[in-house]
Amino acid sequence: MKSLKVCFLISVLILSLSVTVFAARIEISSPGEQTIPLALTRLLPIGVGGAQPALAREFQEVLENDLEMSGLFEFVDPAAFLGDAERLGLSRTDIDFNQWRMLGSEALIKGGYSVSSGKVTIELRLYDVITQRLLTGRRYLGNSTDVRKIAHTFADQVLKSLTGEEGPFSTKIAYISNRTGHKELYLMDVDGYQPIRMTDHRSIVLNPDFSPTRKEVIFTSYKNGNPDLFRKEIYTGRESRVSLKPGLNIGGRYSPDGREIALTLSKDKNSELYLIGTDGTVHRRLTNHYGIDVDPTWSPNGQKIAFVSDRRGNPNIFIVNVHSLEVSRLTFEGKYNATPAWNPKDDRIAFARMDNGVFNVFTIREDGSDERQLTFGAGSKEHPRWSPDGRFLIYSHDLAGEKSIWIMRADGTGARRISAPGGNDIHPAWSVRW
Amino acid sequence: MESSRKQRWRQLQSVFEPGFKQMLLISLLLHLLVPVLYYAPFFPQRDIRKPPVYRVNLVNKPVKNPQAGRPEAVAEKKKPEAKPAPKPEPKPLPPSPKPVAPKPEPVKPKPVPVKPKPEPQPEPKAVAKKPEVKPAPVPAPEPVKTGPTKAQESALEKRLREIREAQEKKAQETARKDRLAALKAAAVAESAKKSPIADAPVGMIGGKGDEEGVSAVAFVQEFIQQQWSFSKYQAAGNPQAEVKLFYSTDGELLHYKFLKKSGNEAFDDSLIRAITKSRQLPQALPEAMEFHIFFNLKDMLDRR
Repeated sequence: MKSLKVCFLISVLILSLSVTVFAARIEISSPGEQTIPLALTRLLPIGVGGAQPALAREFQEVLENDLEMSGLFEFVDPAAFLGDAERLGLSRTDIDFNQWRMLGSEALIKGGYSVSSGKVTIELRLYDVITQRLLTGRRYLGNSTDVRKIAHTFADQVLKSLTGEEGPFSTKIAYISNRTGHKELYLMDVDGYQPIRMTDHRSIVLNPDFSPTRKEVIFTSYKNGNPDLFRKEIYTGRESRVSLKPGLNIGGRYSPDGREIALTLSKDKNSELYLIGTDGTVHRRLTNHYGIDVDPTWSPNGQKIAFVSDRRGNPNIFIVNVHSLEVSRLTFEGKYNATPAWNPKDDRIAFARMDNGVFNVFTIREDGSDERQLTFGAGSKEHPRWSPDGRFLIYSHDLAGEKSIWIMRADGTGARRISAPGGNDIHPAWSVRW
Repeated sequence: MESSRKQRWRQLQSVFEPGFKQMLLISLLLHLLVPVLYYAPFFPQRDIRKPPVYRVNLVNKPVKNPQAGRPEAVAEKKKPEAKPAPKPEPKPLPPSPKPVAPKPEPVKPKPVPVKPKPEPQPEPKAVAKKPEVKPAPVPAPEPVKTGPTKAQESALEKRLREIREAQEKKAQETARKDRLAALKAAAVAESAKKSPIADAPVGMIGGKGDEEGVSAVAFVQEFIQQQWSFSKYQAAGNPQAEVKLFYSTDGELLHYKFLKKSGNEAFDDSLIRAITKSRQLPQALPEAMEFHIFFNLKDMLDRR
């Protein structure tokens, strides 16, 4: 009896001791700041070789533009920078993190460059200011003309270390432009710089798509009179016809594994979707309906294809299972839904819908739920295509009769024009990372 | 006794100049005239516009058992503007005598129908005092003496007074109605408001304790949330993490431990940054405290 009492007393004592530390449970369900304060310093010249402020400025502009486009950051005003911004120390021990912390920044990009005999070396560091940790460090070597490319590549790295997913800035965008008087295929950087004409067909080139595995593009051209599907290797410039069936050979899209191409053929008098090999042999007929079936787009896993069909009257988006050939309808709203593009990373499908004579970009989930309108206002926005990481969308925007290529974030924010004025630019397509 | 006083009086009289008594009387009358004139309707009374007075209770230290009250307590949030109550409102009763302005006073603000605070507030006004601000009357033209004669003036005055009285009566009526409506609106607003009492002392909504101050838990929660920056463009999936933090009485972080990481590196890194920034709380805690914090993005992703 007595031992029981002692036991009880001890347990009470233990309980009271443990209670003295007050433990509270808290839930924090959203961050207080929804952008990362980033300090982006100027590139400083390293050692001999002389300063080239123009180079540093160009690099900074490109990098800042890319990072701004990502929407992740809020830039710390460079006017507020303290002494450390003018010091070249790139290693962790050389940087006065307290200065940067005082400015409220959480991330810091510092870099230096040197130029010797036409070669440029750029060293870059991304630091976590709070934990004083190096997040990524890179040294790039290239020609002095490669500065933009180096900036894009580093922007990709910054995104990778802060989100786990590399950015798409060092990739290319293909599009169709009529600057020469004919619709030809062009290639440009993601920020619209360095546009290069790829074809000289002097007829009509349409609807490009990049191979996910090789550096090549497919597109439809009327060069030989018939809309045939062409393939072009980007760096060698070698070109060949992939599909030259009588009638349409249009809207070719590589499968995610790069082994097949989905496209519309009208060899049997009605436009239907087919799967062909990269050598042009028909593997499979995907649709069989008297309606018109066009504009296929692959799901990321290669199991399904979304396409446009007028089988129920108005053009709407349908999804066909590549294996079972089962067709389901995706869009029910609107009178004209066209040019679907499946996000390469998730289950959202972007498309253009016409309302009151104006096309706007929408997205919808694969199961038909959660439809969202991303663009608003005057001027048709058509042909949406995703960036390889699914972060951005590009589309052609008709402003006062001139069509140009625009880019925006996947949620519809940050829209900006990227293609230069001076022609009608349509049918953009975003390359994968090579 | 009697004679000495008379004597003194006579002495005084001899000192006084002749006519002093009359002057004294006139002076007295003139003095009396001042308040008479002051209250006479010829001279408009200009109210001194007092600036709104906000009384801010600075006792917002984190406590363990906060009393019931307003939760606007965390050190960063000391803006009196955030208070819902005091709003300079016209005081319709009693209406001050209006100037002889012949215009129908368009400037006078009518009592706003949605007054955030009802007038008869039974609670002791511990915190915020309602600013007593009367509407500035329309700057009235001074009566011009050049024109009409006295008779004309008095007749005009009489008529004006009648009009004014009618107007005042009407104004009182509408004011009464407005106040009634305002009370009703306030009642509705009050029930929807977070704080049960607009003028409540510093405390927490639903606070059950007896200490003046805010809940230390809410304080820490808000502070750490403020330190946490994470972009929705970094989010992948629905990351969740659980961290245990141990703070000393001085508000210093003694140690922390991830009980569960989200697996999303960017998310976990952002939490480490937030915790590092919260190493020292701006205010002391009532005692050493341990917090289990569940971090997620529920509220952010919902809004996307």
